[in-house]
Amino acid sequence: MLLHLKNIFKWVNSGGQRVFLLKDINLEVEEGEFISIMGPSGSGKSTLLNLIGMLDGFDEGEYTFLDEPVHTLKEKHRANLYKEYIGFVFQSYHLLDDLTVKENLEMPLLYKKYKGAERKAMVADMLDRFNIVGKKDLFPAQLSGGQQQLVGIARALISSPKLILADEPTGNLNSKQGEEIMELFKQLNNEGVTIIQVTHSEKNAAYGSRIINLLDGRMI
Amino acid sequence: MLKHNIVLFLRNIKRNKSSFLINMIGLSTGIACTLLISLWVMDELGVDKFHEKHNRIYQVIEHLNFSDGVQTMIETFGPMAELLTEEFPEVEFAAEAIPPSWFGKHNLSIEKKSIKAVGQIVGKDYFNIFSYGLLSGNKDDLLNDPNSIVISKELALGLFGTTENIIGQVITYEQDKRFMVSGIFEGTPANSTVQFDFALSSLAYKDVPPWTSLHSWNGSGPKVYVQLKEGADIVALNAKVDKLRKSTNPESIRTAVLVPFADHYLYGTYENGKQIGGRIQYVKLFSIIALIILVIACINFMNLSTARATKRLKEIGVKKAVGATRRIFIAQFLGESLLMAFIALIISLTIVALFLPQFNLIVGKQLSLIFDFNLVLILLSITIFTGLIAGSYPAIYLSGFNAITVLKGKLNQSFGELWTRKGLVIVQFALSIILIASVLVVYMQMQYIQNQNLGYTQDNIVHFNIEGQIKNQKEAFITELKKLPSVQNASSTTHSMVGHNWSVGLDWEGRDQRNIAFQVVGVDYDFIETMNMDIMDGRGFSKEFGADSLGLVFNETAIRTMNVENPIGKIIRGFFGQGTIIGVVEDFHFKSLHDKVEPLFLTMMPQAVKKIMVRIEAGKEEQAIAEIQQLYKTFNPSLPFEYEFLDKDFQELYNSEQRVATLSKYFAGLAILISCLGLFGLVIFSTERRRKEISIRKVLGQEASQITLMLSSEFAKLVLTSAIIAIPIAYMLISNWLSTFSYHISLNLWYFLSAGLIAMLIAMLTVGSQAISAANKNPVGGLREE
Repeated sequence: MLLHLKNIFKWVNSGGQRVFLLKDINLEVEEGEFISIMGPSGSGKSTLLNLIGMLDGFDEGEYTFLDEPVHTLKEKHRANLYKEYIGFVFQSYHLLDDLTVKENLEMPLLYKKYKGAERKAMVADMLDRFNIVGKKDLFPAQLSGGQQQLVGIARALISSPKLILADEPTGNLNSKQGEEIMELFKQLNNEGVTIIQVTHSEKNAAYGSRIINLLDGRMI
Repeated sequence: MLKHNIVLFLRNIKRNKSSFLINMIGLSTGIACTLLISLWVMDELGVDKFHEKHNRIYQVIEHLNFSDGVQTMIETFGPMAELLTEEFPEVEFAAEAIPPSWFGKHNLSIEKKSIKAVGQIVGKDYFNIFSYGLLSGNKDDLLNDPNSIVISKELALGLFGTTENIIGQVITYEQDKRFMVSGIFEGTPANSTVQFDFALSSLAYKDVPPWTSLHSWNGSGPKVYVQLKEGADIVALNAKVDKLRKSTNPESIRTAVLVPFADHYLYGTYENGKQIGGRIQYVKLFSIIALIILVIACINFMNLSTARATKRLKEIGVKKAVGATRRIFIAQFLGESLLMAFIALIISLTIVALFLPQFNLIVGKQLSLIFDFNLVLILLSITIFTGLIAGSYPAIYLSGFNAITVLKGKLNQSFGELWTRKGLVIVQFALSIILIASVLVVYMQMQYIQNQNLGYTQDNIVHFNIEGQIKNQKEAFITELKKLPSVQNASSTTHSMVGHNWSVGLDWEGRDQRNIAFQVVGVDYDFIETMNMDIMDGRGFSKEFGADSLGLVFNETAIRTMNVENPIGKIIRGFFGQGTIIGVVEDFHFKSLHDKVEPLFLTMMPQAVKKIMVRIEAGKEEQAIAEIQQLYKTFNPSLPFEYEFLDKDFQELYNSEQRVATLSKYFAGLAILISCLGLFGLVIFSTERRRKEISIRKVLGQEASQITLMLSSEFAKLVLTSAIIAIPIAYMLISNWLSTFSYHISLNLWYFLSAGLIAMLIAMLTVGSQAISAANKNPVGGLREE
């Protein structure tokens, strides 16, 4: 089992009242799954995704990732954990404007203990795999949205994570570009990468092996 | 990692050129300014400290207990030196001196060569006390012979072309007296308060007034320097000196005190017998200004960095999401700001190197940028301080955010943070306004001084020394002088009318117990007329009355202080024997307007006069100089004609004020420049933050002009607040400064209001451009970002 959420609650206090963002979430994810999280705006999809990605905390419950109890880990350990096993793909790509494609890909490796030559090899491998060798010296602003998201996914994959978390990865793309990205995810999943995506689109959700529906912070 | 950070740093600069430039200008001018001032301060603190035993060198000053308060004179009686050496074993050496400021410039010649040089008359142990770098001559036997002269290396080279084998050579002094070179010294360094080219023995002029004062307890004026033995107790010694002084004359109102010689430069002002500061106040003032400018520059850097950092939130968020820890960000941001500070340091060093000659002109020093240990230490600490302070905010504050918050762009500006930033701008502008107001008032006071009635007309007076043949044919020379078409009148005097003079005590019928020091000005006929002084009572000196050699003309202050009714005809006894008051002259100034007019009298001393004063026709300066020079040459064909204008001499009394005025003008300019940079940064930040609000307002139909007004008024309020804070502070500081002048302008609210207005105007120009561009942006862009 890759990860396990057990009775997770998350709330904020607003005007003296407790507003629940997530209520009693129980979720088990096996390695190799492709899960789509769906639900209307404000239902807690992104919150859940960030929680799984350890970018956000929770108030009650237990979260086990690869047999490590995340809720008891210290910040530093947690960072090491997600650094090693999780890759993020964002709706608005979040590439660094001041860095070229090559440098953007290299960036996550800087925070792990890779040597310069190793990093170069990994970046070259990734450029090759995604067919963007010719664009390696361009800046994000010089790429189309689809191409940017391609780089975004390549960046998420570069340190060979077990899990990819994608928050509406096609939200900013036109339908053709979107389809290409989803095909890519499908292919990655077939290669063994676990994927959890948040999406509004039924069509995109259909690429996944399982759909989780959220409403007002609760799984239905 | 380092390479990656540097790449990011450089690309960031490239993308935000204007912001980088503002940062650089602010920081580098800030550092340059601090650096210039620290050079100046170090130099000031080092003045007169080059003497090897400066810790043990003292000088004798005298407190005079007048009925209306204590007056302190940085001078004493010549014989004091001998007395101190004889009486006190802890005194190693003591030497009396007629300082260069009094003795002045004189002509020295060998054969055909002649040079004008500044000299002083000193006691025999002078060169044992002070380290002017004796090159040749026997330290203990330099001035034992009344005919000996000690000259500087420069003077030796000028006269002899060499410093070799000139001991024993003869130099002619003022065409009539001969001195034998007994020693050569290296010269006086720039940081010495005493500047001279040669020294004569105090034994040389035992009977030539006023130099007789070196050997008499009858008229003060000379300086006495003392070197104590190691470990001597100065407090105990001072008590003994006082006792000794009292024992010679129990009625004396004078108290002699030994004070450290090297301290005198910075702590030379006395009020009512108490040391109250002096130049140290300027040193402190400028140190504070330097610190303030540096802090303002750092604040700017922080403000701009935070403003820029909002653009870098994405970078922080993404990097956090891929596992960058807080430490990495702290290192990155601190590294960046340190790097920036170092770039600024290099720019500022260039600025300093470029402006140092100008700065030297203003401050009248010869500062140079020599990288010794101290300077490097100062530079490094300034840079690291600046870098750390400037980088700490983004490094610590921004790196603390959660990746999600940052990526969603939901960064709330805390209330306190906003107020800190506004508060800093208020402080910056308050300081600028204080500086501007000060500059205005200093300027007005300088104007006032220049237009002040001194009791005589200082314009169009040319003066020069009596030298060579003129000494013997003075009458003839002056008669010829008066015949020149461009000359209105001419006379001669012992005193140049500017600065230090010699004072004596007098006795008269009905004198009370009080001791009054009277300044003595020895003159010749027509002096009062030449100077355009006003006779208030009686008459001036005139050949029509035979006995004028014993006639005295007092000033009004003297008559008032002496408290005599109907002064004309009163008999006065003094060093001259017995004299009669023949006239009263209106008070006139010969010290700076810091000082009150002192009791004074004029007396005929045709034998002792040193200077010729010539009143020339206004507007005919060149013609007059040419004519006088021609006449001068017929008397002294081999001597250069060197003259000076009296009004210029008078200006020099205000050198330090003039320098402060000029410097503060630049500093005020810099402060306002740097403050405006800060404001500029804040405007960018604020408009960026309010971009959505501006867009919504525009979509809802608000005009660009209204938005501009709204944005500008926010900052106008800040500047207004600064003005309200600054004006009372400025008023206090300035009236404090003005009170150091006995004669000064009265403060007018307008000086302060206009300072505020100037600051407001400059601020509005800075804000306006940015506000207009923000108001005219397409609102769609601002709304889409969310």
